[in-house]
Amino acid sequence: MLTKKYLTPITSVIALIFALFVGAIVIALNGNNPIAAYGALIEGSFSSIPHLASTLSIATPLIFTGLGVAVAFKAGVANIGAEGQLYMGGMAAALIVIYVDAPSIIVIPLALLVAFIVGGLYGAVPAVLKVKTNTNEVVTTLMLNYIAILFTSYLVNYPFKVANAPIGMTETINDAAKLPVLYPGTRFNIGFLLAILAAVLIALMFKHTSFGYEMRIQGESKVFGRYIGINTDKRIVQGMFIGGGLAGVGGAILVLGIQYKFVQSISPGYGFDGLTIALMAAFNAYAVIPISVLFGALRAGSISMELNTGVPSELSNVIQALVILFMAAQSTFTSTLQDRISKLGFRKEQRKLNEKEVQSE
Amino acid sequence: MSIFDVIFSSSVFAATLRMAVPLMYVSLGGLLTKQAGIENIGLEGLMLIGCFAGFVANYHTSSWLIGILVAMIFTILFALLFGLFVVSLHAHEIVAGVAINVLGSGLTTYLMRSIFGVKGSFTDPRVVAIPNVEIPVIKDIPIIGDILSGQSVLFWISILVTILVSYLLYHRRFGYYIRAAGENHRSLSSAGINVSKVQYLTLVLHGALIGIGGVYLSTGYLTQYVENMSAGRGYIAMAAIAFGRAKPKMVFGSVLLFAFVQALSNRLQIVGIPSYFTDMIPYAITVIVLAITSYRTFRKEEGVSCD
Repeated sequence: MLTKKYLTPITSVIALIFALFVGAIVIALNGNNPIAAYGALIEGSFSSIPHLASTLSIATPLIFTGLGVAVAFKAGVANIGAEGQLYMGGMAAALIVIYVDAPSIIVIPLALLVAFIVGGLYGAVPAVLKVKTNTNEVVTTLMLNYIAILFTSYLVNYPFKVANAPIGMTETINDAAKLPVLYPGTRFNIGFLLAILAAVLIALMFKHTSFGYEMRIQGESKVFGRYIGINTDKRIVQGMFIGGGLAGVGGAILVLGIQYKFVQSISPGYGFDGLTIALMAAFNAYAVIPISVLFGALRAGSISMELNTGVPSELSNVIQALVILFMAAQSTFTSTLQDRISKLGFRKEQRKLNEKEVQSE
Repeated sequence: MSIFDVIFSSSVFAATLRMAVPLMYVSLGGLLTKQAGIENIGLEGLMLIGCFAGFVANYHTSSWLIGILVAMIFTILFALLFGLFVVSLHAHEIVAGVAINVLGSGLTTYLMRSIFGVKGSFTDPRVVAIPNVEIPVIKDIPIIGDILSGQSVLFWISILVTILVSYLLYHRRFGYYIRAAGENHRSLSSAGINVSKVQYLTLVLHGALIGIGGVYLSTGYLTQYVENMSAGRGYIAMAAIAFGRAKPKMVFGSVLLFAFVQALSNRLQIVGIPSYFTDMIPYAITVIVLAITSYRTFRKEEGVSCD
């Protein structure tokens, strides 16, 4: 029998195909060739090792923001604030590596830890407001995104500004603080391995620790959680702390592994992508990884699509929005599909029974 | 010039009214769906759709009125798309709202680049601005004239629309249906009313109002289209709705408050405070104000439930 567990990936793929199909119509209406455009998109993301490396480099922060959003949602908080948490974490990491002159083995873990804590605290603010004052976290996390982006922009334009830079940025970080590169000649770095490790740890936390179990249970039903004696307020804040921390590490990876400095508007919406990824993954930590790679490919490929076929790279945003919409309606599709299938199964079983009766007669 | 003079000058109040116009329409549109039991966080994306569609129509016809109408039509279409997923397909409203925001931003930027072939911003003398109203006698009164005269025609209409929305919600049968759809949709459907239909009709009004708010940005406040020019106003409108508890007159008041904060933040830049901080003020105030109002209702509710 097909259960919901197996149907969800199938309908996810259907949602993706739907989105790509509507995207193709948009391209065609604009007078471009959709097949050529998608061809260029795939070529720019998977065709060679350097292309693949850039896909995976973009996927790395996405895995972290995706995980961050997934953990928060599992704890029952609608975290739309991964973008802001990423900025705060990235800024914190940049300041650490600029002011702490130490060998790699010390400075990199320290920067990542501080990024986790700063991102986590920034994520905990809306959670505390939610449990103490019942403030809608959707609005507050959204607002805190803007505040974080503006605040970090202020920092790199005033106190930490490098003279003669065209836009606000910190100085370039020391070589010791740069994340080791996995494939020479690219910036594909060990951050990717850390991202996979983080996904495994989060999955294990929810599956095998009572802490994770409590967080998940009260996230599903607060009333039930309270009834069985879980301190729901505490678990909500902890969930948002971990979620914000993961997004913060995503920001640190951007600084230490990709940009080698903190530049104003460092993230082109990786936090919002993380939201989409988490939703597509149905908040499953392992599922975040392949979906992030897919989104990394979409971003990496859309740039070469624009260069080669003239289709604006913003098309990837349109496709992404369509994916979200179709995914959002997915549970309705899935349950309808399940109904149909179980009805089919029911009929089959009845037919078998009928046949048996006929035979026994 | 003291800081006090900066804050309470007639130019700040005039700017407040200008800033209030887009927020007013978007908030009124948003409060209608909120009353009907739909929380749309996609206001920002819908605004951009209206903003862009109206600008393109104005560019081709050199008519601000056609611009407004086209903005309304397109925003209604996208509001109905949101409705299709939320009302009919039972998609998570936050998720669908996020999708509308990504779609609004992505689609308008994509189309801007493919229609006008430029990045960043676009302006053309063919675009005709929505007119401002000079009021004959009041114009010559010192302070009041500076503030009230020369405001956009859409500002005066927004007052009318606020009254109409309030009248609709509290004095018309359809308004009762809207509120019942939000408060208790089961009793509404047991009274023989089609809840989905009520919600779809509300979404039409929702889209129309947000379309006007959006098009004011590109053909009223400026005659220029800038990528993502709604710049968070959709979210500030959400905060204004929450602060005004989705009641038209209170929302009108809170929009004026938020607009004042925005006008003030622009003004403080002139005094030499970095724009990054002044730009932050509306968002920070939103968080603080929302926390305070939520805390009040939270305490009230707890007081009732704990006996």
